[in-house]
Amino acid sequence: MDSISYYLQTALNGILAGCIYALFAMGLTLIYGVLNFVNFAHGELIMWGAYFLFLFMGEPFGLPLYAAIPPALALTGCLGVAMDFSVFRPLRWANRLTLLIAAMGLSVFLRNAAQFFWGAEVRTYGLEVSAGTRFFGLYLTMPQMAIILVTLLCVGAVYLLFFRSRLGKSMRALSDNLDLARISGIDTKRAILAAWVISAVLAAIGGILLALDTNLSPEMGIINLIKAFAATLIGGVGNLWGALLGGLLIGLAENLGVLFISPGYKDGIAFVIMVIILLARPYVIVGERSD
Amino acid sequence: MDLLLHLAVVVAIYSIFALSLNVEIGYTGLFNFGHVAFFAIGAYTSALLTLSGAPFAVGLLAGLAAAGVCGYLLSIPALKLQGDYFGIATLGFGEILRMVVSNEVWLTKGPMGLPGIPRPEILGFIFDTLPAYLALSACMALTTFAILAFVVLSPFGRALKAVRDDETAAEILGKNALRFKIKSFVIGSTFAGLAGVLWAHYTTFISPGDFTLTETILVLLIVVMGGKGTLPGPVLGAVALIFFQESVRFLRLPPEWTRLLGPLQQMVFGLLLVVLMVFRPEGIIRERGGRHGD
Repeated sequence: MDSISYYLQTALNGILAGCIYALFAMGLTLIYGVLNFVNFAHGELIMWGAYFLFLFMGEPFGLPLYAAIPPALALTGCLGVAMDFSVFRPLRWANRLTLLIAAMGLSVFLRNAAQFFWGAEVRTYGLEVSAGTRFFGLYLTMPQMAIILVTLLCVGAVYLLFFRSRLGKSMRALSDNLDLARISGIDTKRAILAAWVISAVLAAIGGILLALDTNLSPEMGIINLIKAFAATLIGGVGNLWGALLGGLLIGLAENLGVLFISPGYKDGIAFVIMVIILLARPYVIVGERSD
Repeated sequence: MDLLLHLAVVVAIYSIFALSLNVEIGYTGLFNFGHVAFFAIGAYTSALLTLSGAPFAVGLLAGLAAAGVCGYLLSIPALKLQGDYFGIATLGFGEILRMVVSNEVWLTKGPMGLPGIPRPEILGFIFDTLPAYLALSACMALTTFAILAFVVLSPFGRALKAVRDDETAAEILGKNALRFKIKSFVIGSTFAGLAGVLWAHYTTFISPGDFTLTETILVLLIVVMGGKGTLPGPVLGAVALIFFQESVRFLRLPPEWTRLLGPLQQMVFGLLLVVLMVFRPEGIIRERGGRHGD
């Protein structure tokens, strides 16, 4: 392979990774926007989404991939709602430290619950590995094509939901000002519930895509949480399109960065970018939220 | 008997670790989720120096200094962040540090770890028995307790609490909040380094696997369960949780259970954190005059 197509292939891999980070970051930033806290357990939604699919594809269900995805997404959505009902709703007006430690505890609990049931080992869905298809000298496998298509679909769906529906409007209102939204007669409970479902389903979709392309392990959530967070910081916290852009940038930077530094540090690139952004200014590319 | 002595040594080391986190999280309200990084820096610095022939005292002081300096360097970008963001930045730092330790094989031997770390030797006396090591770590824990008690009860400590409770008000009263936070973070990091040094010379073997997020969670749980923002809280938490954790390890269980025991124990810890936060966020010992549940 000549060097130009090698760089292009690396950039493509970066975009693929970036699509997945964008899905994680959009869910994280959505909950931040509506409830004003960083959900430390967001990574566990990513991981459980992937494991729910593993559950439905294995014994005793034995469903094929396409049939196992809907129940896996539905269950992750339920898990998101359950998190809110059991932990975050009772703490809605608690101080930040309390909320954050609770989220941390929840994350530890869920991560180890997955390890308890499925073990710490790295797993795959056991699908047949298909050879990549060649496009203009670049290789793309089936799961990778799915990553691009599904991300585009998700972004379209999020756009329609947030900017073209009543529910989306109420979520944006909450994100601007919770108290004001409530006294304006917006059904805040419904909007918060919807935010959790969307955040969890986006996490699950991203987790499943990642697991299809690579593999699954109980640690996959926490690693990606840091990247999703770096992506939201780049984009301006609470900003959906910023999260999308930030995710793509992190993916590109990671994959292109490995051309210059040891691959052992790949997972650290997002953190370094985060520090650089912080040293410069907390919100860069898309701009600050109005509050 | 040996088991009890072992437990006492671990309690002493974790008390230091927890007391150091308490300065940050309890007294200053800094959400440090990467505290284990400074424990690791202390452990690796002292281990590497003593393995290459330096005396224990040098390793100890270098370990403290390295942890403190790294704390200072991290605090400059990280303290630009408030609350949750600071939490994620420190969490990321913890992961990065483990990555460095795993990858810089020329220095740290990477995942193979450092075996044969010498027992401490001070003025010709070698602390190579359990009672001797207990005496050493108990002395260190008492010294730490005394120093940190002095710090948090002083006007400086009251200023930290003021910054925690209302940063704007503290600024208006002429306190430079950022400077207080940096000092608090450096103090916390330095004493975490001390705990790390003691840990390395106690187990005599360290590897990157000893310094994961799990350790941060344990020490966080120790602090919030015992009572953050109080002096005896972290010690009480350390006694309770270390006894729980280490005694489980000595139960004679069938081997097929032990694989499940680790995750199960972590599930209990995670659940404890959640339940505490929902029902008693102040922990066992309540901070006097502090603000709660607001």
